[in-house]
Amino acid sequence: MNSRRVWAILRFVLTTLFLYFVWVLFTSDLGLFSLLFGLAASVMTAALTYHIFLPEHEANLRFFTPHFWALIRFLFLMVFSLYQSSFQVVKAVISGNTNPRIVHFRTRLRSDLARTVLANAITFTPGTMTLDLNDDHLTVHWLLCSTTHTKAAGEAIKTKLEHALGRTWL
Amino acid sequence: MTEFILQSMLVMLIIFAIGTLLRLLLGPTASDRLVALNVLSAVSLALLVLWGIRIGRTLYLDVALVYDIFGFLGFLAITRFLKDRKEG
Amino acid sequence: MIIREILALIAFLVGTFFGIFGMVGLFRFRDPYSRLHAGSLCGTTAVFSYLVALLLLAPSLASGARVFIILVFFLISAPTGSSIVGKFIWESEDATRQRSAMKREDKSL
Repeated sequence: MNSRRVWAILRFVLTTLFLYFVWVLFTSDLGLFSLLFGLAASVMTAALTYHIFLPEHEANLRFFTPHFWALIRFLFLMVFSLYQSSFQVVKAVISGNTNPRIVHFRTRLRSDLARTVLANAITFTPGTMTLDLNDDHLTVHWLLCSTTHTKAAGEAIKTKLEHALGRTWL
Repeated sequence: MTEFILQSMLVMLIIFAIGTLLRLLLGPTASDRLVALNVLSAVSLALLVLWGIRIGRTLYLDVALVYDIFGFLGFLAITRFLKDRKEG
Repeated sequence: MIIREILALIAFLVGTFFGIFGMVGLFRFRDPYSRLHAGSLCGTTAVFSYLVALLLLAPSLASGARVFIILVFFLISAPTGSSIVGKFIWESEDATRQRSAMKREDKSL
């Protein structure tokens, strides 16, 4: 009971801090009224929604607090792979030979946030697009398919991203 | 030089918008139209940012930021509506 | 100042290249999945490059910071939107395939 209470208070404080950070970022106004009003609004919104924003079963701080440098490296990796994959799609547009398939595989990342970011990042890898994410089961449409074997397809698509994400979150 | 780049960027974005609108009108199924609408929303975001930079007012950039963050909620509504209509 | 303009020009040319081929793919491919790949991915890259060019050309710090925030959120929102569209195509193709299979069974009966 006690540890649950502590975890609930911690989640409430984290939600408030996040909302307040976003408020200051978007208003970009450092007047006293704006700061106080934003704090009050953040506390009220966090009291109503903290159990949705951070579910209780995600009981590890590393689940949603990223390593800063790993996050920066991951952003640069995303931008690089965005250009690379667009180039592959341009080559497919010119030559016209594609091999579209739908493949299914599982991920071994554990936090919801990391899984969501993985699903978004798979859209940026060459010729793939995430259709569905259900717990740890991903459905991916692959334009330039080379194999339909589940394990081989999963290894080919996600290995690099999963390593980078495993260093950022858990 | 800066003015030239902004001008040609405006022309290219209008060409992209016309292309996606053509696909939006031609598309045989609802899926094709939705794909074109997805591209068109990104193009209109770029147009808003371009206009904000060119005029030099940050008001357009605030509008573009909100449009960027909440833009895909519209897609959720459209897909939910079409799916319900298909089933019913 | 001139270096910033040259970098912006390079980003603009790269964005134009990807945008034109995205448009070509949008009209050349036949099925909605491939159109989604070409249009959405190349369109994202084109708009991203344009935003980088606009970030380099920003007249003041306030507008530059806003463009940077838009750039980061665009990396999150663009794949989310295309994933929603992809899921819709998947489910609607599933529905049409099931309906045609049912029709075939009806005819065979």
